[in-house]
Amino acid sequence: METVALTIDGKSVTVEKGKTVLQAAIESGIKVPYYCYHPGLGIDGSCRVCLVKIEKMPKLQVSCSVVAAEGMVVQTETPEVVQARAGVFEFLLINHPLDCPVCDKGGECPLQDFSYAFGPKGSRMEFARRVFDGEGVRADVDFGPTLMLNRNRCILCTRCVRFMRDVDGDAQIGIADRGYGSEIATFKEEGVHSLLSGNLMDVCPVGAITTREYRFKSRPWDNPTAVDTICTLCEKGCNTTVWLKAKPEWAKGAQLARITPRYNPEVNGYWMCDIGRFRLAWIESEARLSQPLVREGNDAQTATTWDHALDTLKRLVGAHGSEHLRFLLSAHASHEEMFALSRLARQLLGDRAQQSCTVSWAASVKSQPEHTTFSVPPIDAPNVAGARLLGLTSVPVGEAEPDLSALRAAVEAGEVRVLYVLDPGPSGSLGDTAWIVDARQSGRIASLVLQGVLESPLAAAADVVLPGACFVEKEACYTNGQGRLQATARAIPPPGQALDDCSIIVRVAAALGRPLDYRSAADIRADIAATRSDEPGLQGIADMAFAQPVATHHWLEASNPMERWKWDVMFQDLPPVKFEEMLKK
Amino acid sequence: MDPVLTKHIGEPNAQTLDFSLQHGAYAGLRKALGMAPDEIIDWVKKSGLRGRGGAGFPTGMKWGFVPKDSPKAKYLCVNADESEPGTFKDHVLMERNPHLFFEGCVIACRAIRAKVCYIYIRGEFYHLQRVLETELARAYEAGFVGANILGSGEHVDIYIHRGAGAYEAGEETALIESLEGKRAQPRLKPPFPAVVGLYGCPTVVNNVETLCNVPLIFDRGWEWYAGIGPDKNTGPKLYCVSGHVNRPGVYEADMSVTLRQLIYDYAGGIPGGRQLKAVIPGGSSTNVLPADKIDVAASFDGLVQAGSMLGSAGIIVMDETTSMVWVAKNLLHFYEHESCGKCTPCREGTDWLYKILSKVERGEGELRDLGLLFSVADNIGGKTLCPFGDAVVPPVASTLQHFREDYETHVRVGRPPLPPWRAQEELIGAH
Ligand SMILES: Cc1cc2nc3c(=O)[nH]c(=O)nc-3n(C[C@H](O)[C@H](O)[C@H](O)COP(=O)(O)O)c2cc1C
Ligand code: SF4
Ligand code: SF4
Ligand code: FES
Repeated sequence: METVALTIDGKSVTVEKGKTVLQAAIESGIKVPYYCYHPGLGIDGSCRVCLVKIEKMPKLQVSCSVVAAEGMVVQTETPEVVQARAGVFEFLLINHPLDCPVCDKGGECPLQDFSYAFGPKGSRMEFARRVFDGEGVRADVDFGPTLMLNRNRCILCTRCVRFMRDVDGDAQIGIADRGYGSEIATFKEEGVHSLLSGNLMDVCPVGAITTREYRFKSRPWDNPTAVDTICTLCEKGCNTTVWLKAKPEWAKGAQLARITPRYNPEVNGYWMCDIGRFRLAWIESEARLSQPLVREGNDAQTATTWDHALDTLKRLVGAHGSEHLRFLLSAHASHEEMFALSRLARQLLGDRAQQSCTVSWAASVKSQPEHTTFSVPPIDAPNVAGARLLGLTSVPVGEAEPDLSALRAAVEAGEVRVLYVLDPGPSGSLGDTAWIVDARQSGRIASLVLQGVLESPLAAAADVVLPGACFVEKEACYTNGQGRLQATARAIPPPGQALDDCSIIVRVAAALGRPLDYRSAADIRADIAATRSDEPGLQGIADMAFAQPVATHHWLEASNPMERWKWDVMFQDLPPVKFEEMLKK
Repeated sequence: MDPVLTKHIGEPNAQTLDFSLQHGAYAGLRKALGMAPDEIIDWVKKSGLRGRGGAGFPTGMKWGFVPKDSPKAKYLCVNADESEPGTFKDHVLMERNPHLFFEGCVIACRAIRAKVCYIYIRGEFYHLQRVLETELARAYEAGFVGANILGSGEHVDIYIHRGAGAYEAGEETALIESLEGKRAQPRLKPPFPAVVGLYGCPTVVNNVETLCNVPLIFDRGWEWYAGIGPDKNTGPKLYCVSGHVNRPGVYEADMSVTLRQLIYDYAGGIPGGRQLKAVIPGGSSTNVLPADKIDVAASFDGLVQAGSMLGSAGIIVMDETTSMVWVAKNLLHFYEHESCGKCTPCREGTDWLYKILSKVERGEGELRDLGLLFSVADNIGGKTLCPFGDAVVPPVASTLQHFREDYETHVRVGRPPLPPWRAQEELIGAH
């Protein structure tokens, strides 16, 4: 790597050649504010807050737009710079509504934070502020199905415009009018219609673009815990952070406040899609399965204990003989779960185990602009590649739909007496299940066991229901569509008596008299590593590290350091962190 | 100096090809076609021609920045957006001497190895578009523009594009954006247009008057051209004199001419025998000069020395009845309206200045508002993305500097100080 050395505020800084002065400052922990620059959206040079003094240049320079050169001497704190920068901050606020107390961005707002750090003490503006759509909350207008827009708060950094043009690939946002009247707009006020719309809230450095999903739901200081994890809603496996709300006894509602993308240049860059971001209500919903259920004869299901449920399971399997047992796994099952269940199948069925397991998933073609740089794949499950590695599906790469023909044929032929379904995914993750419900009701399947997380017609038709954990409730590994092994973290516990799915499988095995010698999921991973050491997509599984919940205050230190740009000002309290890679763009 | 650029503009049909040919049009082109591109650039350098668009940048040097060996297409963009308040010279050249203009375009294209020239005329110049198109068709027919020009093998196409009427579209990179079909907002520099311009290709942006000077250099030789006017301020220059003068209009002179001569000799002095109060010498973006500073050469360097700029040579003359607060407010109204809004200081600051000035002009201001005006203007100047921001400062800062009394009177009594004779009249009326 070719580097250049320059001096910023007397400190010598070495950066990769081609980087800008602003990037050099950020990398070395020197405080320079910025709005229009965004590491994922490039340079615009329009906000003018990143002014610095560079020796031998008569005028102040915007540091985002000057490439660092060998021997350059940069000052960010001379009286001239401080004064000029404060002047720009004064301009940014003269028309800002300053409604921070009711703004979703308040508390994690670069405009707020940088203004405190670099702005003037007060404003000299005495005229009425510019008002676009109305004052106060009336300024919040629809901005498509997922977003709200408040033009009074906008500082016209055009990050949103550039995101739509350069990342989404469909330039739906533009600026209407000019000069003092400039406003963010969509054609015919249609709002933003994009699978990536939630990212606009992230890139907006003020509270102008907010998501309907997170609106008024929490404040940053009410989210004291952050957990780095991955999204499992499709095979892309975006790296994410989940934010947990403090949940005192009296507070109603969910603990999971929101999910935001976490930078990974190899997987998702700075972004994630709306499915992964907004589809979280089910996790802590009333529809979660939280205790074991059994049905005796044709009665209704009743809640019961784990012991009783497992006894019932043993009785059903015993009644039909394990040779008529089949397993249907959702590709939302992790490596550990798939591996343990297939081990159990081997113990019960010997050589026929392979054929007894079928993996299913849902697929949907996402409608996205042709030139998007962030495409969401059609497979809506995290571990289809994993199922392939473990030999549980023979559907070839590139084929989006699962192959259930063998299982369906066997069910039609009446060969399946007990069907054991494992599905820790959200509703619909097995694809069509009406045929299973139908088979159970007509008696072609004698007994149906469901290990899952959500109420569904399938769960309702089951004879035994074993409540499991979803992806934010357990540490588990998945291999994404690129063949990259990634892991989730345990952010919250599973509801009620629900258990981690690996431990359910171990209990089931014990109940069926074929115990698996696993005391933890780590044992399963070690076993996978031992038996499948040759698979690149499973490499390192035994040593997989799982992120732990951290106090939000320390999250920036604890998390991927490349995230620091996001909470631009939190870094003031933090030691310098290097984040070269983030600045590669 | 005998007019060269505008010699025949008052004659009937001066714009036509026949008329132009009778008066020597395209003679410079014939000579330039026999010269290599580098030689053409060299001549222009030696002529001392400086850009007439505002900054006075040496034209030959600008052309020399275009990378010769770039495999990309090269473009010439003509800045015919002429929107600076007080400026109306390019207009006259295009309307009355279009063939001189086309001739300059073709020579410039040859110099920078461009095959295509876009003439970007301002949105309001609809009538000019028609004149230019008619005459351009004639020039094509006669073989002065198009393929194999005058049998030389040189190929230059000229297209006329009319903008949508934004002052900022005259800023060279905003002009390029607008030509590409985008909002007329400036680009970050560097890269400069000479390297990355229209459609990402090397591009020269020149003013109309600049290009109209080019044929003269070849027709009569660079030595002749360099001999006109003072050192480093060579060649004929057009001045637009407007405001409180008896004969407002476009005047041609060499740059040794003084502001006083332009106001009193060329434009016939101030009506009604009133006294001169102030002059804006180079379009609204230049510092206003008080009446005692007009004995200076109206040249690039002369006006810089006098504390202002030649700019677009739009000389706005104001007599003693003029309130300089009103002038500043009026100009800020223009800048507030025309700011493209891309960068923070200009978008927010121009409007703020306009509001403060309006308040002061109405007589509702306080003395501390005058300090605020200075400070806000200073927070814009030098901090913006394009020179528009710098152009906002002069109307405020220079009127405050030279005419503080006007401001203070507005603050005190809600109107400007009266000229002595008005004060007399009021006294008489009061009795
Ligand atoms: C806000 C703004 C408006 C401008 N308007 C014009 C214009 O109308 N016509 C013009 O020739 N140059 C205008 N300029 C100057 C151009 O950017 C550029 O310097 C000029 O066209 C170069 O031509 P020249 O080298 O022939 O002088 C403007 C500059 C700014 C910053
Ligand atoms: S809405 Fe937000 S991201 Fe878009 S221009 Fe305004 S401040 Fe920037
Ligand atoms: S100074 Fe800024 S807002 Fe003003 S015209 Fe230039 S780019 Fe646009
Ligand atoms: S970050 Fe440099 S101008 Fe906006």
